[in-house]
Amino acid sequence: MKTGNAFPRPAVKSILPFVVLLVLLILPAAGLSTNITRLLFTTFVWTITSVAWNLVGGFTGQVSFGFAVFYGLGAYTAGLMINAGRDPCFSFLAAAGMAALASFLVGLPTFRLRGPYFAIATIGVTEAVRVVMSNLKLTGGASGLNIIERRTFHQAEHYYTALMAVALAVAISILISRSRFGLALRAIKQDEDAAASLGVNPYSCKLWVHAIAAALTGVAGAIHARYFPYIDPGGGPGGVFAFQTGISILLMPVIGGIGTVWGPVLGGLVFGIVEEELVVNFPNIHLLLYGILLILIILFEPDGLAGLLRKLFALFRRSRGDSGGQDADQVLWRSGSVEGREL
Amino acid sequence: MTLEDFLDPLISALLLAGIYAAMSMGMTIIYGVMKIVNLAHAGFMMLGAYFAYELFQRFHIDPLLGAVLALPVFFLFGMGVHWLLVRWLPKSDQPTLASLLLMFGFWLVLQNVAYLIWKNEDRSITTSYTLSSIHLGPFYISKVHLFVFVAAVISIVVLQIALKRSWFGRSMRALIQNPYAAQIVGVDDRKTAMLTFGLGTAFTGFAGALLAMLYSFSPDFGRPFLLRSFVIIVLGGLESFSGVAIGALILALVENYSILIPHVEASYQPAISYGLLVVVLLFLPKGIAGLLERKWRAG
Repeated sequence: MKTGNAFPRPAVKSILPFVVLLVLLILPAAGLSTNITRLLFTTFVWTITSVAWNLVGGFTGQVSFGFAVFYGLGAYTAGLMINAGRDPCFSFLAAAGMAALASFLVGLPTFRLRGPYFAIATIGVTEAVRVVMSNLKLTGGASGLNIIERRTFHQAEHYYTALMAVALAVAISILISRSRFGLALRAIKQDEDAAASLGVNPYSCKLWVHAIAAALTGVAGAIHARYFPYIDPGGGPGGVFAFQTGISILLMPVIGGIGTVWGPVLGGLVFGIVEEELVVNFPNIHLLLYGILLILIILFEPDGLAGLLRKLFALFRRSRGDSGGQDADQVLWRSGSVEGREL
Repeated sequence: MTLEDFLDPLISALLLAGIYAAMSMGMTIIYGVMKIVNLAHAGFMMLGAYFAYELFQRFHIDPLLGAVLALPVFFLFGMGVHWLLVRWLPKSDQPTLASLLLMFGFWLVLQNVAYLIWKNEDRSITTSYTLSSIHLGPFYISKVHLFVFVAAVISIVVLQIALKRSWFGRSMRALIQNPYAAQIVGVDDRKTAMLTFGLGTAFTGFAGALLAMLYSFSPDFGRPFLLRSFVIIVLGGLESFSGVAIGALILALVENYSILIPHVEASYQPAISYGLLVVVLLFLPKGIAGLLERKWRAG
């Protein structure tokens, strides 16, 4: 990207997130209705998982269908902790730790191999964990877990918790994308052999990024569990271990644009708000809409909304006689695993 | 524990292995030729089940015949899916993110269409022989299981012969072994890929119809079988046909004998196949075929 423009766009780009954060911080003080606060809260929780998924699926190129496991484990860990009268902060940390531990259970056997092993194993682990949780006495089995927190309920407190967690997730995502570690992940996505020959250990890199993503997803689950007084493992759309939860978590970054920092955030925000409307208005065909959306994005705009926006900007700039270069992300994506290796 | 207690699971495992092998065949050939993990596999199986169900309910066609009729129908359907969606995927020598997500999206579409048509309720096919069984000494062998086993084995044998003898089969196997060399000697990879996808889908629909005779099904039907198919083809080494048969047998044995372990309920079966997958990935990453190969070289 050119930096020497008369109008320094990168500066706007780096200020904008802080402006948005500031607006979101002041919003509750401006007197939001309970309903909109709740909508924003759930959107934030979704966005955390979206950003987390992108670390594994977008940066590293490992598709996971099983993030519901970490979300659910986080929710249950926090729920049990809160019921035992622990401090919420401590519960969130425990949830993150639990989810990170579980991530190794999936990662240790599958990341050593290339190929589709990881992706399919994540489908398997979702099924297996849901079945086990539905039969476990400790967590109330299939009938779910009631969460009772012995404090007065402040919606704003939950709102700020979720907002802080989103900010944290995005900060981690930015840090990773700018670090050596992030470069290593992108190298793995492009060509594992080449990355390994340059001194990157694909196995441990994948394991660690998966653990970080799982911890973030666990925190999201914990925040969800603390807000709603009841969670269940459920096969239906409401259950924290449901396959649908995993689908939603994967869909958001794909909509927004995987492999970028801001794409998943955008995807999470759009999804969180649209999902609410979709589930209410089209409860029967929302899977159909998701499926079609996924197919259309993969076939026509693999860069998602972020890619679409970038194209629009490029068009706009070209019309002003300024040829915009390709973004590094775009180059990586084009030559990355999505396009596949050419003959 | 008596000898019968021990042999009973063995017999049911053998019978189950036939249909397990048949349902994994489609996934193996599609993976072998195109390196696509067909997640819509689950959806095709579910459609196969409903295909047999509708034929049975409306026209009183025996589900065994229904399964055979599913072959041409799903062959055309698979070719259509390939023409519409799969052929646009970039070629690659390992599964890509795009292919996983695309087939996953298509599975969601199939699932929801099925929900719209058949609603979210469990259906089953009850034929005149569903509940009857054959007595063989101290053992009772359910007729349905036996018929399904025979149908599955016949289909696998026919497929094997077809792949060994025909030009299409040879070009398909050439593409699996070495796609570049195959293209150099004149194999049309696009055409073969399309036919392979059709054949894989046909086999999956066929297997789904057979499974519908054994289990009740809903639009969510295929998911546990998707996982099983994958465990089986990983056990078999991903691209080996004989490996699939061995993998199917191992999975069926593990599932059936796990019932003998106390405190393990039948509802834990998804956890068992996942556990088996983990064990295989840890100790036998190249599957049974890889193990045999290594023994061969050493010996």
